Amino acid sequence: MEAMQAPEVLGIDAGGTMTDTFFIRPDGSFVVGKAQTTPHDEAEGIVRSATDALKQWGLTAEQAFPGLANSVYSGTTMLNRIVQRQGAKVGLILNRGVEDFPPMRAVQSFSGYSYEDRIHLNTHRYDAPLVPRQYTRGVTERVDGKAHVVIPLREDEARQAARELIALGVDSIVISLLQSYQFSAHERRVRDICREVAQEMGKPDLPIFASCDYYPHRKESHRTNTIILEAYAAEPSRRTLSHVDKRFKELGATSDLLVMASHGGTVSWKANELARTIVSGPIGGVIGAKYIAEYVGRKNIVCTDVGGTSFDIAQITGGSFVIKQDPEMARLVLSLPLVEMDSIGAGSGSFLRINPYTDSIQVGPDSAGYRVGMCWEEGGVDTVTVTDCHVVLGHINPDNFLGGEVQLDYDRAYKYLKKQIADPLGFSVEEAASGVLELVNFNLRQHLRSVISAKGYAASEFVCISYGGAGPLHTYGYTGGMGFRDVIVPAWAAGFSAFGSAAADFEYRYDKSMFINLGLDSSDEEKTAGARQLQEAWDELGEHVLKEFEVNGYPREAVTLKNDLRMQYQGQLNDLEVDVPIPHARTVEDWERIADAFEERYGEVYAHAARSPELGFSVTGAIMRGTVSVAKPRIAEEQLAGATPSPEALVGERKFFVPTQREWVMASIYEIEKLKAGNTISGPAVLESPTMSFVVPPGFRTRLDERRLFHLQET
Amino acid sequence: MAYTIEQIRHLVDGALDWETAHRMLSEPKDAERFSMYREILQERVSWDDPILLPAGPHLYIVVNSGGDWVWKCDCGFEFCDYRQNWKLEALVYVRDTKELLGELYPQLMAPAPEWQVIREYYCPQCGTQHEVENPTPWYPVIHDWEPDIEAFYREWLELPVPERPRA
Repeated sequence: MEAMQAPEVLGIDAGGTMTDTFFIRPDGSFVVGKAQTTPHDEAEGIVRSATDALKQWGLTAEQAFPGLANSVYSGTTMLNRIVQRQGAKVGLILNRGVEDFPPMRAVQSFSGYSYEDRIHLNTHRYDAPLVPRQYTRGVTERVDGKAHVVIPLREDEARQAARELIALGVDSIVISLLQSYQFSAHERRVRDICREVAQEMGKPDLPIFASCDYYPHRKESHRTNTIILEAYAAEPSRRTLSHVDKRFKELGATSDLLVMASHGGTVSWKANELARTIVSGPIGGVIGAKYIAEYVGRKNIVCTDVGGTSFDIAQITGGSFVIKQDPEMARLVLSLPLVEMDSIGAGSGSFLRINPYTDSIQVGPDSAGYRVGMCWEEGGVDTVTVTDCHVVLGHINPDNFLGGEVQLDYDRAYKYLKKQIADPLGFSVEEAASGVLELVNFNLRQHLRSVISAKGYAASEFVCISYGGAGPLHTYGYTGGMGFRDVIVPAWAAGFSAFGSAAADFEYRYDKSMFINLGLDSSDEEKTAGARQLQEAWDELGEHVLKEFEVNGYPREAVTLKNDLRMQYQGQLNDLEVDVPIPHARTVEDWERIADAFEERYGEVYAHAARSPELGFSVTGAIMRGTVSVAKPRIAEEQLAGATPSPEALVGERKFFVPTQREWVMASIYEIEKLKAGNTISGPAVLESPTMSFVVPPGFRTRLDERRLFHLQET
Repeated sequence: MAYTIEQIRHLVDGALDWETAHRMLSEPKDAERFSMYREILQERVSWDDPILLPAGPHLYIVVNSGGDWVWKCDCGFEFCDYRQNWKLEALVYVRDTKELLGELYPQLMAPAPEWQVIREYYCPQCGTQHEVENPTPWYPVIHDWEPDIEAFYREWLELPVPERPRA
């Protein structure tokens, strides 16, 4: 019976360590697959992971793929390409006089390094620039901050620059001139000159990227980096994605592969602006949490994701997440809309070392990644990790890691924990491993607390959703004592980011920087003019969005457009993204409604008492989003069974060391797949599936609800 | 935390990859580093006197054949006892005129020779430049450092102190 219904949606999260796949059927039943990531050919890891998932239904990839209505990729290919500087050979045209700026920007020397490394001059440095200096040319022109031409464009210089770069054999040319987001004529002229020269030199297809055509945003370093990424990494990644897409088509898939993008929607791999797919994995989880939140009727959610290498936190307030406009990524300042997240480098793969000066245990910041730890000899690492602690304490079943695909070695973990950590500190192995877990949990809890309180919230206003491959191992540790309204662990926690990607809208989003300043006392004429200016920007962006969908074969009528904006009180430093309640801005009344919407959102994100309309308002950006409907996972509702799990769900007992109490107890081991809605389990227990272990220590209780969400409570 | 001899060799050559260099700089120093470093230097010099301490790119403090601790050049030239200022045994070239300083600096960028001079110290045997100092013209030859080798071995490296110099 089960094999009759084919899966409808596939979500993929190709992380640095593991590739997760999540298949869901129209009735809401799902499977999660895992396989190690294969950096040399991502398609291989994805297909292996998919095969792992589908075998639980007795299906093969060839049987399942033809029925898929939607498949969404998220992953780290592009990020790796940038980090490893394996992108295209790009030529860059800037203003004459600022050619050395891109490699020199301050933030880029310390971004991405740990705090300790940031404060020492020797322990951080600049990366090699994406575009070497010899492929950079300057062109004389200058436009001031109010969009007035100060020096006209010297076209002969532009022509010369184009000739030189093309003669050097560049793969593409990127143009980014100062103030071009306000005044684009010069940049477009240079673009056209480059096209003419390319034609003359016999390269009519040479891609030319003008920043104003893609990212008309203020902050030229951010804008320049982003448009360089587009040429440098996104184009080559398009080939990788098209390879995955091709592989899926070979398996019988009929729909195009979509890619999770930083703004929280998916785009096609054929998208014009592909650079924003640079971070996608962690975003998936946030989208998934938002999706769950809508199901369970909660508006304030903290999303916590513990993976092999990092702990990521995002907040959903009033039903929406915060979008950051100028993120730092891959050690570059960028101009991309990104779902705001806070990360620290602590995960299950984090290395453990003893600092010889203080005799204290140091967790991370580097990590074994897919190489797990000492408990997996084939991984080839020489330092113990947090996972080794889980293994010796009985929190992870060494025979059921990745469903037994990777056999972990308990003795090896024990031996090296003893040698590297326990003996030097004079502890027993159990004490040392417990100490490590308590330290990790403490760090996670502190980080979580600081992120929540930084915005003026209390944990009691939030529901915490915990996921990621290692999340459920630590959930009790970082939520215990925090006082969350509820703590949720989805039964598919390990594939949650993949699930979330599949739950995202197929959405294109275009942004444009603006400056519209209006005070409370502005005249009606001023307000009308401001509203019109905004409308012009929306119209322009709307055209871009519709064109993107046309590339994927969606006619204009099929697209739902939604206009939003970014706004702040005049003189404040941070703007907010505002959900605009009206489809157009033409009149004074329209303006008033937009300002009200901003004030409402401001009150949600900060506090109502902090609203300050007397300062006046600044519109800092126009946003246009377009969506078309795609198949999304449906979350099934199961019949409630009793509180007591059925006997076949209880697969045995195992010795389990309780870190906080420093003692061995016998923990009941349950198989997650066999638990029924309504079942309630008190600790000590470990709930296992092939892809995750959910630890319920003594003093905690968990109940599985109708949607297969575990709720963890302290008793 | 340990490094291979190959990595230390790259460190000596200034050719270490950034990942490893960053680890070395950020993490507590590995105990074996000094011995490995010393061994590599020892392999590369033409003489057999054991190196006690590297003192510059081409300068060492060694135990010489007579059992004394002395400053020694790559080429084998011995300057003097390690507690003395080796510069007093070196060839010195003083740049104390506008013209001589002008050979090193772009126009108008050189210090005024009445205020600052440059003294270059060379090995009398092979001509290797070991040191450059830029004091005021009347300043005595600077005695850069007098290492406490015994304390360094005993307390810092926790290694036995090599054979003592004869009184």
